[in-house]
Amino acid sequence: MIPLPPRWMIFTGILAACALAIPPVVIARVRATPDENRAVHIFFDMDFQPKFKSQAENPLFADGRAQRYAVEGTVAQGETMLDSHLYEGAVNGKWAETLPEGMSMTPEFLARGQQRYNIYCSVCHGYAGWGDGTVNKRAMELMSNSEGPVQGTSWVQAKSLHDPVVREHQLGMLYNIATNGIRNMAGYGAQIDLEDRWAIAAYVKALQLSQDASLQDVPPELRANLQTNSKQGEVK
Amino acid sequence: MSRFLFPKWSNLLLPTIIAAALTIPLYAVFFVAYGLSPKTLEVGYQPKQPVPFSHALHAGELGMDCRYCHTSVEKAAHASVPPTQTCMNCHTQIRPQSPKLEPVRESYETGLPVEWTRIHKLPDFAYFDHSAHVNRGIGCVSCHGRIDTMEVVYQKSPLSMGWCLECHRNPEINLRPTSEITNLGFDSATDLTAEDREALKKKYHISPSEDCSTCHR
Repeated sequence: MIPLPPRWMIFTGILAACALAIPPVVIARVRATPDENRAVHIFFDMDFQPKFKSQAENPLFADGRAQRYAVEGTVAQGETMLDSHLYEGAVNGKWAETLPEGMSMTPEFLARGQQRYNIYCSVCHGYAGWGDGTVNKRAMELMSNSEGPVQGTSWVQAKSLHDPVVREHQLGMLYNIATNGIRNMAGYGAQIDLEDRWAIAAYVKALQLSQDASLQDVPPELRANLQTNSKQGEVK
Repeated sequence: MSRFLFPKWSNLLLPTIIAAALTIPLYAVFFVAYGLSPKTLEVGYQPKQPVPFSHALHAGELGMDCRYCHTSVEKAAHASVPPTQTCMNCHTQIRPQSPKLEPVRESYETGLPVEWTRIHKLPDFAYFDHSAHVNRGIGCVSCHGRIDTMEVVYQKSPLSMGWCLECHRNPEINLRPTSEITNLGFDSATDLTAEDREALKKKYHISPSEDCSTCHR
């Protein structure tokens, strides 16, 4: 039998070994739980450089923005926006019926329009344009609350793009609405690129055709494939 | 005066010291690798934002596309935080009196920005480009996780160099068709076959560089 050291020494040893188990437990806990505070930065290297990244803060300016607006009254090169067809959707004071120069109605253009429409427009107007998007649905629910509209909600049912009036809208007008908004709808000129807004207008036209087609519009050899479960429940 | 004699148990000291000398460095390595890893320090950062904006509601329940707000993600390195106008596209009419929206209304009136707290931060010497990734088959979810289920957004990935390189060395598993970029429920690993992913790799010409200068300039 090996002679053992004094009791207090054995006791301290066991205690120290147990203490070693604490840090891993703490680390495991930190890993498993979210934290409101950013971790202490240990190695700085060149992580924080005296420069401004996109949308960063610059306390030098009153509004705190590092990114500056163009100086008032100035126009950047190529941004005179004099082409009223391209920028406003109007030709000689009338809504344009055609795409501006440089854009053409190709399947790719329409596909782009569809993709952009699904991102920016479908939330209210719905994927098929019937004014049944998810945001619209939720807003209507908030309106029909039994104790009155929730927190001042004042939503007007999103327009169906197949409304007879909207069907009459020219391409240029649709573009202009997408850009500047209309009635309760905000303008999307800042959110969607110029060419994409034209693509959306073109797609809306296609969408309108698709929901207002007659059997004669379908090639004879494909008519048999038609299913009669369209939104209106019947094929005209 | 009698001479000092080590007690017999002190024979145990030598093996104890040797054992400690072997285990303590191991312990220290473990402590640094596990404890100071970005997976411990950076992941899970969930700051309180000035507006309790719920991605779970907007991106999840309402199914709004990420790009409705983060418009620059396909065109620029930086995925922009939306201007107040984007909030007000709807919130001039939906819950315009909500107390939660007070900072948004204030910003709308004064023109001063809402001071959101940035969560995902790279060191200033690393240059990440969102557009290069989302236009070539890397979806939002690969780095940001299921944002559409987060009431309050937190950092999902360590954003460490090792983590970046993991994917740069083996990108296939994260590739998806560009049409599914913002579809957070789409899982390349289960929704695509290995052949699909290989085809995407060819289609998008994916050969991620591992040179230093790819990210560091």
